[in-house]
Amino acid sequence: MHGVLALVVASEEAEVTAKNPILPETKEIVWAVVAFVLVFSLLAWKAWPAIKKALRDREDKIRGDLERAEAVRSEAEASLEEYNQQLAEARGEAGRIIEEARVAADQVRKDLIARAEADAADVRTRAQEDIRLASDRAIADLQTRVSDLSIELAERIVQRNLDRDTQIALIESYINEVGGTRR
Amino acid sequence: MLLAKFTFPPTDELFRWKDMVFNDSPYAINKTSFLVMTSAVLIIALFVGGSRKMKLVPSGVQNLLEVTYEFVDHGITRDVIGPNAARFTPFLGSLFLYILFLNFWEIIPFIQFPPTARAAIPAYLAIQTYLIYWYLGFRHNGFKYLTGHLFPPGVPLPLYILVTPIELVQIVFVRPFSLAVRLLANMMAGHILLTALALLTAYTLTNAPIIFIGPFLLLVGVTAFELLVGFLQAYIFTLLTAVFIADSLHPEH
Amino acid sequence: MHDVLLAAQAAGELKEGLSAIGAGIVYGAAAIGPGIGIGIVVGNAITAMARQPEMAGQVRTTMFLGIAFTEALALFGFVLFFLAKG
Repeated sequence: MHGVLALVVASEEAEVTAKNPILPETKEIVWAVVAFVLVFSLLAWKAWPAIKKALRDREDKIRGDLERAEAVRSEAEASLEEYNQQLAEARGEAGRIIEEARVAADQVRKDLIARAEADAADVRTRAQEDIRLASDRAIADLQTRVSDLSIELAERIVQRNLDRDTQIALIESYINEVGGTRR
Repeated sequence: MLLAKFTFPPTDELFRWKDMVFNDSPYAINKTSFLVMTSAVLIIALFVGGSRKMKLVPSGVQNLLEVTYEFVDHGITRDVIGPNAARFTPFLGSLFLYILFLNFWEIIPFIQFPPTARAAIPAYLAIQTYLIYWYLGFRHNGFKYLTGHLFPPGVPLPLYILVTPIELVQIVFVRPFSLAVRLLANMMAGHILLTALALLTAYTLTNAPIIFIGPFLLLVGVTAFELLVGFLQAYIFTLLTAVFIADSLHPEH
Repeated sequence: MHDVLLAAQAAGELKEGLSAIGAGIVYGAAAIGPGIGIGIVVGNAITAMARQPEMAGQVRTTMFLGIAFTEALALFGFVLFFLAKG
């Protein structure tokens, strides 16, 4: 109890050896040295190295993480670059293919048109040929017919005594006859 | 007069304590020694206990330990001594914590006494710093360390009659003395100031309640200020120790 | 005889009072110079910090050192005050 009280209450009748209160006392120096040596040795042995190590570990970890992140980032950038290049290549390729296709289609179209025109011309010439042949044949036919008929007519004229009316009627009928056959 | 009967106790009563155990022996423990040992136990418990399991992601006590280490390592060791002085951080860190904990007893309720206000502790620490200073100086520079101090270059020859004794007194007596006295006097003055204000507050509370609020607010303010002083003095003592070490390693600066 | 005793007592009291006054003057005088000095140190430190805020950390450290050295003189006075009184 006396000891605890001495913590809180100042010594009433301070020590009789009336030393100046500002001068150091041996008994206090002793304990100050003991305390400091304890603090220094234990902290230097256990605490400071551990704290330093923890700080360094974290520093290393952060530096490692940053370096790794940097590496990953440059890698990603490289592959992005690669992809972009490939994309550009693909785009160029596609453009080229489209151009080629357009050229080919153009060519095909031109070919088709040319062929169609040629066909049409062909058909036309053949048709004209047909027409010409048909008309030739018809003319030849007609010539044959006319000559036949003329011959026949002449026969008839010769056979009958012909008056004028009869002759006209005859010619008319003949013409009609010819028109009827022609049509 | 409101304060006619206010008396202030003699200085002895503020700074001298009865022995608690081992009475009247050279290793008797009084309040000062008790607080010094308690501080040592607290620091060791906090720092050795707290640093047993250091994690990569810090939390709680570990933050405190790391902040303290960084403060001493960057703010004091590297700034003052140099980038390759990490080997001094354990000593300077322990010194800083030791003084800091002792200073803070000044404002801990019911204790309210800084052991650093007793000459024993600052004197011991200053002498210790000085022994390290001279040891490192001679180890790194040989005997010309002393001559370099006593005969600084670039001084006209006749002036050495004046300069050398001043330098001798300076390095042998004034520097360690001022190192110890700075801490001691700051803490003594703070303790006296706080005691005076506390006694004045108690006195006015019973005898002159009209002006009670004045000393009370002053007491609160000065207590906060002493918190700052306690930290600052620990910092300055450590900083000066670092300056001395730097000086003994590279005396040309 | 009685007079002599009184005189002796008065002399003792006088001595005590004078030494108290002397101690007070010692500290008061010791505080003047450092007070001005600390003002100069801090003022110039603030000027430096305002001019070069990027150097503020280094300036602050140096400022504390300067304050510490200057303040030491006042603290010598403080200690002398106790030594003179006790």
